[in-house]
Amino acid sequence: MTTVIFRTATKFVVPIIMLVSIALFLQGHNAPGGGFIGGVLTASAFALIYIAYGLDFLEDGVLGRDAQTMIEHISHGVVSDYRHLFAIGLGIAAGSGLLAILLGVPFLTQGYVILEHVPIYGEVELASAVVFDLGVYAVVIGALLTILSVVGAE
Amino acid sequence: MQPNSAAIVVLVGLPFLAAAVAPIVYRYLGDRTAYFAAAIAFISLGLVSSQHGVHGEVVLPWIPSMGVTLRFYVDGLALLVGYLASGIGVLVFTYSASYMHGEPGKAKYYATMLAFMGSMLGVAFAADLLAIFVFWELTSISSFVLIGHYTDERDSRYAARKSMLITVGGGLFMLVGFLILASHAGTYDLVYMLEHADEVRSGLASAGLLWPVVGLLGIGAAAKSAQVPLHIWLPNAMEAPTTVSTFLHSATMVKAGVYLVGRFRPLLLSDEWMALFAALGLITMTVTAILAVSATDIKELLAYSTASHLGLIIAGFGFQNAYGAETGAFHILNHALFKAALFLVAGIVAHEAGTRAIDELGGMWRDLPITAGITVVAALGMAGVPPFNGFYSKELLFEAAYETAVHLGGLAWLYPAVAVFGSIFTFLYSIRFLQLFFGDRPDALGEVHSPPVTMIAPPLLLAVLAAIVGAMPQLAVDTLIQSVVGSATSGHAHAFHVGLPTSLTPPFVMSLIVMGTGVITYPFYGRIHAALNRLFEVVPPITANWWYDSIVYGVNRRSVQVAERVHNGLLRTYATWTFFGVAALTISGFVATTATLPAELPITLAPALILVLLVAVVAAVAITIAPSHVAGVLTLSILGFMVAIFYILASAPDLALTQLTIETLTLVIFLLVLDRLPAFYGEIDRMRAIRDGVLSIAVGMTVTVTVLLSTAATPTMKIAEYFVEEAIPQGGGGNIVNVILVDFRAFDTLGEISVIAMAALSVLTLVALRNGGETA
Repeated sequence: MTTVIFRTATKFVVPIIMLVSIALFLQGHNAPGGGFIGGVLTASAFALIYIAYGLDFLEDGVLGRDAQTMIEHISHGVVSDYRHLFAIGLGIAAGSGLLAILLGVPFLTQGYVILEHVPIYGEVELASAVVFDLGVYAVVIGALLTILSVVGAE
Repeated sequence: MQPNSAAIVVLVGLPFLAAAVAPIVYRYLGDRTAYFAAAIAFISLGLVSSQHGVHGEVVLPWIPSMGVTLRFYVDGLALLVGYLASGIGVLVFTYSASYMHGEPGKAKYYATMLAFMGSMLGVAFAADLLAIFVFWELTSISSFVLIGHYTDERDSRYAARKSMLITVGGGLFMLVGFLILASHAGTYDLVYMLEHADEVRSGLASAGLLWPVVGLLGIGAAAKSAQVPLHIWLPNAMEAPTTVSTFLHSATMVKAGVYLVGRFRPLLLSDEWMALFAALGLITMTVTAILAVSATDIKELLAYSTASHLGLIIAGFGFQNAYGAETGAFHILNHALFKAALFLVAGIVAHEAGTRAIDELGGMWRDLPITAGITVVAALGMAGVPPFNGFYSKELLFEAAYETAVHLGGLAWLYPAVAVFGSIFTFLYSIRFLQLFFGDRPDALGEVHSPPVTMIAPPLLLAVLAAIVGAMPQLAVDTLIQSVVGSATSGHAHAFHVGLPTSLTPPFVMSLIVMGTGVITYPFYGRIHAALNRLFEVVPPITANWWYDSIVYGVNRRSVQVAERVHNGLLRTYATWTFFGVAALTISGFVATTATLPAELPITLAPALILVLLVAVVAAVAITIAPSHVAGVLTLSILGFMVAIFYILASAPDLALTQLTIETLTLVIFLLVLDRLPAFYGEIDRMRAIRDGVLSIAVGMTVTVTVLLSTAATPTMKIAEYFVEEAIPQGGGGNIVNVILVDFRAFDTLGEISVIAMAALSVLTLVALRNGGETA
């Protein structure tokens, strides 16, 4: 599946998928989308890269690191980044709930403010739930990519 | 006077705190940790005695949302058990300093012993049924750890498992009894129940629940207090160090069951109560006294004897008349004094003579004069010989049994008869134990050293206390026992008097019969002992152990067989059993609740939907006949995309989006692993194909029926409406699905993403780290 057509298509498609996934994540609160869908979409973008360029491409070509074996991938390679990503995501999600406790309301209580008269956008809503959703987003990307790269390396 | 709440909380909490720091203390103090533990026990003893004579309740909120409150109740019975747990704790810890010298695992030993002391104090003072249960099981767990102290030895592990199985299992029966009781009384508060005892009891009786509650509590108490036929764990528990046997398995933990019976006596006292506990206690007393005569090891003898005396206490609490409560209350104290002393003596003998076999010991009074003196007081007390302490409580038992027999007549005469019969054996083995120090000294017995002061002082103190109780029984009654009787009696307890008999009362005559028969039969002790052992060898099913071993090992064998069939390492077997199990459970659930299928389908299908579903069905059929894995996976994804389109048509864009992305990703993962699978599996076995076909039809039907049944219900739509209405004002979002996920039900989502993270970690460990766990 590493034809020139496929690789070229991947180059164009991956940025679009990433953009869509971020858009889906941000608009999630009011329109179809959200952290989970966004995360899965990002993971599929990475899957596309893996298939087109091979598993080591991210490591060698993009990040410029030199990883040889699978075990190295896991201990300090890109897999360990994914691992950190879902750990951080869990931390963000749980931490956003703890913040609510600090403010004296039950765990994971969410709130929002609506900012008026913002240039260009006019009215912008800031919801605390977005922080929680960011955690979801990170966990989904991290976990799926971990599974994908470990299974893929097999 | 009201109890001091701070004192009670410190009393129960401090031992646990000390247990937590015990390993650190051990690192610095070594063997002297014993004195640290003894100091903690001494503080507890001081706190218990600071509440002496107090009667009342302490209430602290624990889980207010569930109505669970930490309640403590202080009265005579609680104080008695508190005195035993802390007082004997001081002595046992002091004794441990020398006894445990050179033993393995001492940090664990002291921590567990302290935790046990805290749990026992908790059982004694807790007044909430759930709290009692928690502390109760904590004592079982610490007992398990302590019995299995020598973790390398097979016998220790067997004994620890046995005691765990029996005592914790019994505790679960007790829990069920508690739940019935609480659901009936409407509260877990024991004090409330005791104050409204008549009301609660008559309510239970009219609902037909008195028998079950009495029976379930009886099983719990019998398991803990080693009553027949659940007594079998106690002799094995002697695998533990002698200090543990003294503390847990003679003076305190086994008293928990007795305590329970005494505690619930005023609440549940009835004809059913007497029928169960008087009979259970007397049978235990007799059977285990006979078993004690058959014992060949001094600790085994003491273990059976403990079960026998616990039977005496249970029988006492079982009798409905006032003497019954007095027997139980007084004998708890007497038994703790003489039995703890005897266990410590057994520890000295084992330590200094190097053997515990009864046949190899004798005539040691010259080697161990003080120990011999202690044994005289304690063993004669155990035998019930006047003027030693056990005599008075045994007289009370005889009196209780005799009064009951006179009152009821007929078969009730069996009570005094069995009591006398069992007591003869008690007399016999007590004298046999005493003979370790008198009579001929076997030639094989080597040099016997004299024990250190820390080992001789604790049993000496106990023997002195036992002698004081023997000489001045009324003093013990007035200071402590009278209030214990008050706790075990509903209504007002009359002041009672004990003392040496001045005339030939019926109970005194019974005591004389016991002692006379005992003296006459003692010369035949060896023959009785041998005959009993031969009997157990020839007819194993009359021993409870045979039943225990047969059941436990039988179940073990069966589970190995079942395991081989159910999870044999092949994924398809696991899948088969799981699907079969789920389908069977679901269907039987519907059958049990007599659910009926709705007559007509609640939905109407648009033509577009029908088309999409038809394509899905065709794809599903195509999967089964797909020639290769790639073709199969691609066909499977057709099915998935059809489902996504179905969602779009059913106006659920979020679901459709998720389904589409997940479907794509699954396809990719499938393709990644495909080339690892064999291309051809070989011919399919016809039988297996039929079995799998039947199973998949069953699963499909189960799912269909479930969907039909669960959508047939017409809820008032309150939840959905609530979310629709509140999504924007409360969550500030127009996408209800997302608002539910991150706002209304964020806690659920947090759980779900944790599961995703765990799945990733599992893949990481199972797949990538399977060859070398050290990295990463």
